[in-house]
Amino acid sequence: MLLALALASIPLWAPRFWIYIATQALIFAIFAMSLDLLVGYAGLPSFGHAAFYGVGAYACALLALGHVDGLVPLLLAGMLGAGAAALPIGALSLRTSGIYFLMLTLAFAQMLWGLAVNWTSLTRGTDGLIGIPRPALPGLDTLNVSLYDRGPFFFLCLLVAIAVFVVLESLVRSPFGKTLEGIRENDRRMRALGFPTFRYRLAAFVLAGMVAGIAGSLAAMSNGFATPDLLYWTVSGLALIAVVVGGTRSFIGPALGAFLVLFAQLGLSTYIDRWELALGALFIAFVLFLPRGLVGLVRRA
Amino acid sequence: MEVTVTDLTVRFGAVAVLDDVDLEIASGERRALIGPNGAGKTTLLNVIAGELRPAQGSVRLGTRDATTLPPWKRARLGLGRTFQRSTLFGQLTVAENVALAVRARIRGSWRFWPGGQHPVREEVGKRLEAAALAHLANRRAANIGHGEQRMLELELALAASPSVLLLDEPMAGLSGAERQSVLNRLLTLPRQVTIVIVEHDLDAVFAIAERVSVLDHGVKIADGGPAAVRADPRVQEAYIGAF
Ligand SMILES: Nc1ncnc2c1ncn2[C@@H]1O[C@H](COP(=O)(O)OP(=O)(O)OP(=O)(O)O)[C@@H](O)[C@H]1O
Ligand SMILES: [Mg+2]
Repeated sequence: MLLALALASIPLWAPRFWIYIATQALIFAIFAMSLDLLVGYAGLPSFGHAAFYGVGAYACALLALGHVDGLVPLLLAGMLGAGAAALPIGALSLRTSGIYFLMLTLAFAQMLWGLAVNWTSLTRGTDGLIGIPRPALPGLDTLNVSLYDRGPFFFLCLLVAIAVFVVLESLVRSPFGKTLEGIRENDRRMRALGFPTFRYRLAAFVLAGMVAGIAGSLAAMSNGFATPDLLYWTVSGLALIAVVVGGTRSFIGPALGAFLVLFAQLGLSTYIDRWELALGALFIAFVLFLPRGLVGLVRRA
Repeated sequence: MEVTVTDLTVRFGAVAVLDDVDLEIASGERRALIGPNGAGKTTLLNVIAGELRPAQGSVRLGTRDATTLPPWKRARLGLGRTFQRSTLFGQLTVAENVALAVRARIRGSWRFWPGGQHPVREEVGKRLEAAALAHLANRRAANIGHGEQRMLELELALAASPSVLLLDEPMAGLSGAERQSVLNRLLTLPRQVTIVIVEHDLDAVFAIAERVSVLDHGVKIADGGPAAVRADPRVQEAYIGAF
């Protein structure tokens, strides 16, 4: 709550640049939270989650460039587009587990990245889709509120992030969420109890993909473009780092982790050439000394 | 529910771990499955539960041919089991462990919102009471004692209200008092539940079982009432001095 209020006040005092950074961090936080549904709760270490972030961004971009105006249709496009991609990818990847699952999800994501680069008639290749308009807000524009302004767009991202947080928190407390945890802890026993565990894992994979797609939609609107970079494996890697650094099996953790990773990236890249190296070191330090992440640190204090 | 196993053969590589085994277990019967280490008892339970496909032979549950059904479908036909090594949800609490089993039975797991779980919690409470685990309800399953884990292992199978219950050495590693409470829990089960129990503790076996089947090197060497099996010379040879 306090955190949300503190965040909500950002547009009131922060310089424009920082509003932009905080917006990016919120979008990244949504993405990281969706990944933790898989990594933390379902025990599925996906290394290809950027695929759904990217597909969501492209779906939103294509629709917006096709003159669809409207916040809800554009967010839905990202969500459903990413879900549609997650269904077959999940159905194939989930036949394996552990390190093989990790490699397969990575391979599928890289395939989609290749598709985004090469299917130039649809995606315009490495140039990407540019000039994506932000949706109008019917009713609010008379009040001079436009998503082209940083403040309102930041609030939109904050609202979506809070909604995603609330939905995911109640999802993991629901019977479905507990079933996922049971499958993570002991798939064999769950099957012996009568659970078709594959279907639950697939449902979790698609749901996480859909939430990542929402983040992708917001990213497309925020940047005004969608490029293959969004699907690149480093994006999946950054999200995994955010989840681990923030602490798995909570959603506040990965959200904080996303902020930390984004600020670290920003700070380090200004002062150090090889900032990836420094970020990697930070990651290793967390895994070794704070295995429960930032959230674990707060809980201990 | 009846369990019928016909001509069952299971091979690991060239070795036949089960060789042409037949079992006919009536509905509500309490059957013990005994035999020396490595005889193939766990393998037989795994085939009945669907975790292993036999090289040859069939498994029927009730009137249904279950030979090719996956474990979860057999569970939905009413088959429940425990494992020789406790197979729990280690990082979940004892209560959450049992709740999963209860929801498996009532098919209440495709719900995406919390709430409406009062009946489940109530049943979990009753079951933990009956298993003398109520004081551990909020402890993680990985952090309770071995005897308590064995009790929970059994409770997970019971919470699904199975009509066939496969038990793989439920007493192994338990103290005398703990054995007694497992035994009591089993003796209070409704009469119509079919029980197949693998157990090395022969006192327990003869306290529960109405019929005993003996496996040795994957072959069924005897099958009958407890007294007849005890007197069988082939059994005595396989078990030198155990009785
Ligand atoms: N996955 C496997 N691969 C190869 N051999 C196996 C496998 N599982 C079991 N075996 C072998 O099959 C034989 C029967 O094993 P099983 O576990 O069924 O015996 P058991 O009667 O349950 O013995 P115990 O009383 O020790 O539990 C043993 O010789 C064992 O080594
Ligand atoms: Mg065994």
